[in-house]
Amino acid sequence: MGTNSASATGMNIKAAGGGGVGSGGGSGGEDTNGGGGSGVIGGVGNNSGGTGAPAGMNNQQNSAPQYTIPGILHFIQHEWSRFELERSQWDVDRAELQARIAMLLGERKGQESLKSDLIRRIKMLEYALKQERVKFHRLKYGCDPPQLNEIKPPADEPGIGSEVAPDSEVPYSSVSNTTWRQGRQMLRQYLQEIGYTDTIIDVRSNRVRSLLGMNNNAEQEENVSPNINGSENNKRASESQGRRTPAKKSQPMNDAMILDTEAAVMANFAFLAQTDVEMSDDDDISEDLDMVTGENEDSDVKTTKRSKGKNIIMGEDVDAEAKEVLNELNLLTEGRYEVSEEEVDASLGLGELAQLTVNNEAETAYDVSNTKESAYRKTWNAKYTLRSHFDGVRALAFHPEEPVLITASEDHTLKLWNLQKTVPAKKSASLDVEPLYTFRAHSGPVLSLAMSTGGETCFSGGLDGQIHCWKLPNSNIDPYDSYDPTVLRNTFEGHCDAIWGLSVNHTKGHLVSCSADGTVKLWSPDVKVPLLNTYSSELEGVPTSVDFVRDELDRIVVAYNSAHCIIYDTETGKQVVKLEHTKEMSGNFGKFINKVISHPTLPVTITAHEDRHIRFWDNTSGKLVHSMVAHLEPVTSLAIDAHGLYLLSGSHDCSIRLWNLDNKTCVQEITAHRKKFDESIFDVAFHPSKPYIASAGADGLAKVFV
Amino acid sequence: MKMADGSTILRRNRPGTKAKDFSRWPDEPLEEMDSTLAVQQYIQQLIRRDPSSVELILTMPEAQDEGVWKYEHLRQFCMELNGLAVRLQSQCFPSTCTQMTATEQWIFLCAAHKTPKECPAIDYTRHTLDGAACLLNSNKYFPSRVSIKESSVAKLGSVCRRVYRIFSHAYFHHRRIFDEFEAETYLCHRFTHFVTKYDLMSKENLIVPITEEENATPGESEA
Ligand SMILES: [Zn+2]
Ligand SMILES: [Zn+2]
Repeated sequence: MGTNSASATGMNIKAAGGGGVGSGGGSGGEDTNGGGGSGVIGGVGNNSGGTGAPAGMNNQQNSAPQYTIPGILHFIQHEWSRFELERSQWDVDRAELQARIAMLLGERKGQESLKSDLIRRIKMLEYALKQERVKFHRLKYGCDPPQLNEIKPPADEPGIGSEVAPDSEVPYSSVSNTTWRQGRQMLRQYLQEIGYTDTIIDVRSNRVRSLLGMNNNAEQEENVSPNINGSENNKRASESQGRRTPAKKSQPMNDAMILDTEAAVMANFAFLAQTDVEMSDDDDISEDLDMVTGENEDSDVKTTKRSKGKNIIMGEDVDAEAKEVLNELNLLTEGRYEVSEEEVDASLGLGELAQLTVNNEAETAYDVSNTKESAYRKTWNAKYTLRSHFDGVRALAFHPEEPVLITASEDHTLKLWNLQKTVPAKKSASLDVEPLYTFRAHSGPVLSLAMSTGGETCFSGGLDGQIHCWKLPNSNIDPYDSYDPTVLRNTFEGHCDAIWGLSVNHTKGHLVSCSADGTVKLWSPDVKVPLLNTYSSELEGVPTSVDFVRDELDRIVVAYNSAHCIIYDTETGKQVVKLEHTKEMSGNFGKFINKVISHPTLPVTITAHEDRHIRFWDNTSGKLVHSMVAHLEPVTSLAIDAHGLYLLSGSHDCSIRLWNLDNKTCVQEITAHRKKFDESIFDVAFHPSKPYIASAGADGLAKVFV
Repeated sequence: MKMADGSTILRRNRPGTKAKDFSRWPDEPLEEMDSTLAVQQYIQQLIRRDPSSVELILTMPEAQDEGVWKYEHLRQFCMELNGLAVRLQSQCFPSTCTQMTATEQWIFLCAAHKTPKECPAIDYTRHTLDGAACLLNSNKYFPSRVSIKESSVAKLGSVCRRVYRIFSHAYFHHRRIFDEFEAETYLCHRFTHFVTKYDLMSKENLIVPITEEENATPGESEA
């Protein structure tokens, strides 16, 4: 049954569009993987095979003879939820593809109108030139040239001629600007009508801009095509590598291969030379060429004793090395391609014409951002994908003002991202961001994260029981700058087990932490002895999550694994209120609290539960105000916007949901992450001042939605 | 997918979990993992069970795509190397280790920059790991974790060669750190076996001696 539906998924997606590289390819692969899995039982060895077999047997026995009604119901329910989930995933895929289609269509339209724009401009230039000639003639001979009167500005848009006139300080430029803006506005309107969102318009304007570098792009294209050649060469190289394996040290074979690879290297080299590679690279390459037989080092290694290093080793690795060289050349040239794109944009361009257009584009962008702010947007779309972590992302936090965020991962690191520094991603509506800085000090998974009020420092808590306080590097730092040990400002000693929750008090700047060692601690980060107080409850057990009570800043609310929350007075350390509900069935089992947050303005606490509920509590009475099933699987994370109007929740059902706090209805659901074991989404966040939301997942990704 | 019975094991690290219980759940057989991250899950499960059983960890399940297998292992290596980098940060300073060296024979240039640069050892370490994280997560080269283009698999070798230098620098210049780290993780051990087994680095470059079990090294005979 499982396999059936799985293969159906694959088929569906493939049918929907071969173009969907990411998801389509992904699930197709899953199939093969699953198919392969069955063969594994024998292979894995006695260990896992041993544990696996009895479980499987039990299952069969259970399912074959005895069907119980609750069992069947449970099963049906389970299957239903699974199908729901799959369906929503398909919907997401479909929406993505549709967006792409719309984008491509729009892009075509845009290019068509761009073409007519350009043609019109050329006409204008011609006209201006004629005008200029007339002027010249007039100055020289003191009279109008004979055919002058016939020249008239093209009728459709009289303003443009003046704008493009070689003299840029022409008086009518303002007029022309307005006409331009009107034209743009109309175009934009039209695009919106055919299903364009603002984001796509942004993307489009980028595309258009890159298109305008047409001259250069043509050159770039040349740069790219050798890459294709390069990969052919690689193929050749790998063919020869294939030959290598059987007869490793046979001499004649080597010669053949050398010829082969030499040709390949030469081909690449020729093309490299034409793209002006920096000297050092050249050196290394020519060095490698000098001895195609292969010095046994790669291109980024320098020998301290070069003369000796040049010993020719008639190596078995010849072709492998050559291939590596090729790969690295490819890499190099690709890198160059990206760089030169920027340079070119700035320097060469289309001359004045391009400049004019760029100006216009800038204007458009400005207008778009204006409409962005004025029009309230109801749907959030995935825009940025933050990929660079090797394992699940446990927490994320936005900078208070900048479009900057930090992620904390089970791969032992934290990373700093600037959403304004994106990698141009081809073929996709979403943008990839590369991290600016990697924070390393934890000796295990990083579990929790909090940003200081001003955004100059952040705090991270790890499985290693450490809380580190970091100074945020400049958001324009070079990712490969030299190591600055002072980025780690200090470390708070006190906890002796995993730190699962951190929260900052934005008025006093205090930090509160909760740990698996059973305690909650209050810290004053800038004091010499930062620990202020410790709170614990033997009755309730281990704290799972903590937050400051936002409307009474000397209070904290702590969720315990007893499934109760307790509000403490931070000064006295005394328990003020206990949030508990007596009447719900089946005791507290399964109501485990994954996350607790405070409403920013009201005396309300909100909790996310393992039993798929989100619950709302009154801080004064301690009573349950509202309870709702929010997801198909445990709710793991909550965030609330600065005004307290919207709630964001994340769940192991792979989706995030946005809730209107007024009527507690779900406004939007987005499938955001994949599962690793039985976990999916670990954290969600609102940007405190900009229209961004974000999610962090067990799949090692973080996503930002706009 | 199997019938859901009430006693299904949920493999989750809920908040509040103690460090010693983190990810300590019953093993899940690979054939029951239906996630796109199955290979990562499987590898991490083996490591958690016993990091010293290098052979078992590197034994590729039948019918496993080899490219994905190598890729996921390399991801795991780079991730665990963060641990070594953290330790080096406390002892490897630009003033003492001005260049990335192991033995005196080579100075390694840092490839993370537009022009390869003679970064101090600690910068080389960080830049190489950061660069590897970007490359191995690049949507361009590794858009999927269940199938990988041949041309992208070819990139793994150069990542291996670069990150190996972190081991060799630690071994020859910060021996105590290396030994402590190795005793906990067996990482260099595992890495050496890995690159040998899948022919990702040439033997002359593997300059850190892997002492015990030297004879048991499988080498090409099994690869
Ligand atoms: Zn050092
Ligand atoms: Zn560097």
